[in-house]
Amino acid sequence: MEIKKDVDSKEVLQLVTFRLGSEEFSMDILKVQEIIRHMDLTRVPRTPDFVDGVINLRGRVIPVIDLRKRFGMSADEKTNETRIIVADVDNSIVGLKVDAVSEVLRLPADTVEPPPLLVKGAESDYIKGVGKLEGRLIILLDIGKILSKTEKDVLVGTLNAA
Amino acid sequence: MSFSNNEMDEIINDFITEASEGLDALDQKFIELEKKPGDTTLLNDIFRSIHTIEDVLNKLRKGDMAVTAPIMDAILQAVDIIKLLLNNIRERSDKEENVSSIINILKGISSGRSGASAAGAQPPQAGAQKPRQAEPVKAVEPVKAPESVKAAEPVKTAEPAAKAEPPVAPAPGPQASATVKDINPAASRSVDKEPSRPQAKADEGGDKTREREQSIRVDIGRLDAALNLAGELVLSRNRLTRLGSKLNEWNAESEIVAQMEEAISQLGIVTSDIQLAVMKMRMQPIAKVFNKFPRMVRDLARTTNKEVELVLSGEETELDKTVIEEIGDPLVHIVRNSIDHGIETPEERVAMGKPRCGTINLSAYQEGRNIIVAISDDGKGINPDALKKSAFEKGLITAEDAEKLPAKDALSLIFIPGFSTAAQVSSISGRGVGMDVVKTNISRINGTISIDSEVGKGTRILFRLPLTLAIIQALTVEANGEVLGIPLSNVIENIRVTSSEIKTIEGREVIRIRDTVYPLVRLGSIVSGGSEAAGSEWKYIVIISIGERKIGLIVDRLHGQEEIVMKSMGEYLKGTEGISGACINGDGKVILILDIAGLVESVGRVYAK
Repeated sequence: MEIKKDVDSKEVLQLVTFRLGSEEFSMDILKVQEIIRHMDLTRVPRTPDFVDGVINLRGRVIPVIDLRKRFGMSADEKTNETRIIVADVDNSIVGLKVDAVSEVLRLPADTVEPPPLLVKGAESDYIKGVGKLEGRLIILLDIGKILSKTEKDVLVGTLNAA
Repeated sequence: MSFSNNEMDEIINDFITEASEGLDALDQKFIELEKKPGDTTLLNDIFRSIHTIEDVLNKLRKGDMAVTAPIMDAILQAVDIIKLLLNNIRERSDKEENVSSIINILKGISSGRSGASAAGAQPPQAGAQKPRQAEPVKAVEPVKAPESVKAAEPVKTAEPAAKAEPPVAPAPGPQASATVKDINPAASRSVDKEPSRPQAKADEGGDKTREREQSIRVDIGRLDAALNLAGELVLSRNRLTRLGSKLNEWNAESEIVAQMEEAISQLGIVTSDIQLAVMKMRMQPIAKVFNKFPRMVRDLARTTNKEVELVLSGEETELDKTVIEEIGDPLVHIVRNSIDHGIETPEERVAMGKPRCGTINLSAYQEGRNIIVAISDDGKGINPDALKKSAFEKGLITAEDAEKLPAKDALSLIFIPGFSTAAQVSSISGRGVGMDVVKTNISRINGTISIDSEVGKGTRILFRLPLTLAIIQALTVEANGEVLGIPLSNVIENIRVTSSEIKTIEGREVIRIRDTVYPLVRLGSIVSGGSEAAGSEWKYIVIISIGERKIGLIVDRLHGQEEIVMKSMGEYLKGTEGISGACINGDGKVILILDIAGLVESVGRVYAK
């Protein structure tokens, strides 16, 4: 498995960490194109509720996914801290709405553990692992998995609507 | 001679493109030849380009043999084989085509009539060196058939053809290959604004190097990128224009503001020019599509034992590449229908006092912001009563409907899915999957289709197509606080009504406008999924149409008309029901564009239930 390999090597992971509620998440920095402030969205009808809408990113129309809703957390008012992480996943650009972006972190790969068995399940296969740093627990996300899962969900949603 | 893989790939690709174009042109030439059997200049042209069928042609040229239909069949078959070989090269398959039978047929034709020597023994053709005459058709040089076989050898696909080849005539070889680059009509016309020039030069026959530089092949991806960037520029300009006028309100006296305004308007002009220039780069003459018809019509006419003449006009009319690609199949379908069902057999025609030979007209011309492609025939026309009867028998309409339906509207019954009038299904057409698919294809490129027919006189079908797909005119409307765009080409009219004018039939809302009843859809309930805020007493109704179907959209407000650049919403949201794309308006906000075809269809589904 990928995690295993990470643990074996002495490499250092570079991660962008962000907050959703009280939890800290992170994703591979190479997937992040940029981080922007929250901006006015255009809602798109007949899409799942976690698709917040689309924004104009310098002339490109990109969809924005509310990660809180995606993870089944209660919706929250946007604050001054709210950010959109613009991620490039398999050449499609997607915005991820998060409560706040904290920092860029260098984490030795061997401090990352695979997700605990208890939370493992169909819903959590996008959790790559859990990193420990000075008493903090940081959840490593596999953004590609989140998107491919939501894509499936979108499809199911559309089928149900039809 | 050794090439690296990349070099070889490039050479093969160039060769394939050139040879394909050449072959298409060759088709044309042969059809022309069949019509004008005595034209030796034309023959000389074909000579220069193709050697496999050299002998037979030689006989024809010398007048030893008359151009007859079976000979043309054999020649055209030979061309098909070359196309097949070409395709094999493209797909890198090692499949070998059996070319011996066609070569035998050709040899048979050749020796059968005059007893002359077989293929290999032919002397080089002196005729190929004759100066060409300035005849317009001629300017488009035919083919690279000799090259096709030569170049095919290294990749080992066309060996049989190559072996059966007579020695390549020395004279035509170099000359033909020297002209190759310049004769792609599409490329030279789309890049060069002056179509007559390359032609004139080709006629001169000299100075090939300069000609070659008149056009270049560009990867379509790069053109698309350029078009996108031009679109961005338009958006930025719109934004600047808005900011400029705000600045003006804020301080009209200032010198610097005046200069700013001037700079912005200058930018505006340049931007529009760039946009136009890039759009033009993607334009191709419709000849690219039309050119395959002479061959097709000829073949079909022969299979159906009918006599059909195809008249092409307006081939130079230019359309966006995407539109060109999309209209091919619909046109093929309609032309097939015309020959199969429209044009009568020669006997029937004579009995009706018509000329023996039927005529199909294929024309294209520009009308305002649209391009019209018309297909008309002088066949037996479509009988509206037969359509009604058939539609009734298939359960598509009720007897009552059939009674009330005016003849003109009855014609549009053929666009209903699952409708086919042919009493007998033939291999050519009449499988009942036709006209509705045609209509869908045309709608997809924002075009419309209309039909007109008179029994005994003929049928005329019109495609109304947009010049380009990238920039469209849209009507912006508001419903439940959301602003949406509707492609203007689908909008028939806007009407302001009071809520009391909206009636219900069986629980569905409808409105009657000038004796026509339109089903209604509340745009608000589409954008916000069911719930709708109570609006004012006045409502606006936008009547939209796809092909022959019309529905009314209830909206809260009309905003105005805007020129927009369509953008996809990305892989992720692609295919969202009811939305075909998005655009960015002057103040940077994203506006969604309604998918009218999908909307009308879903309304149809609801009504069907």
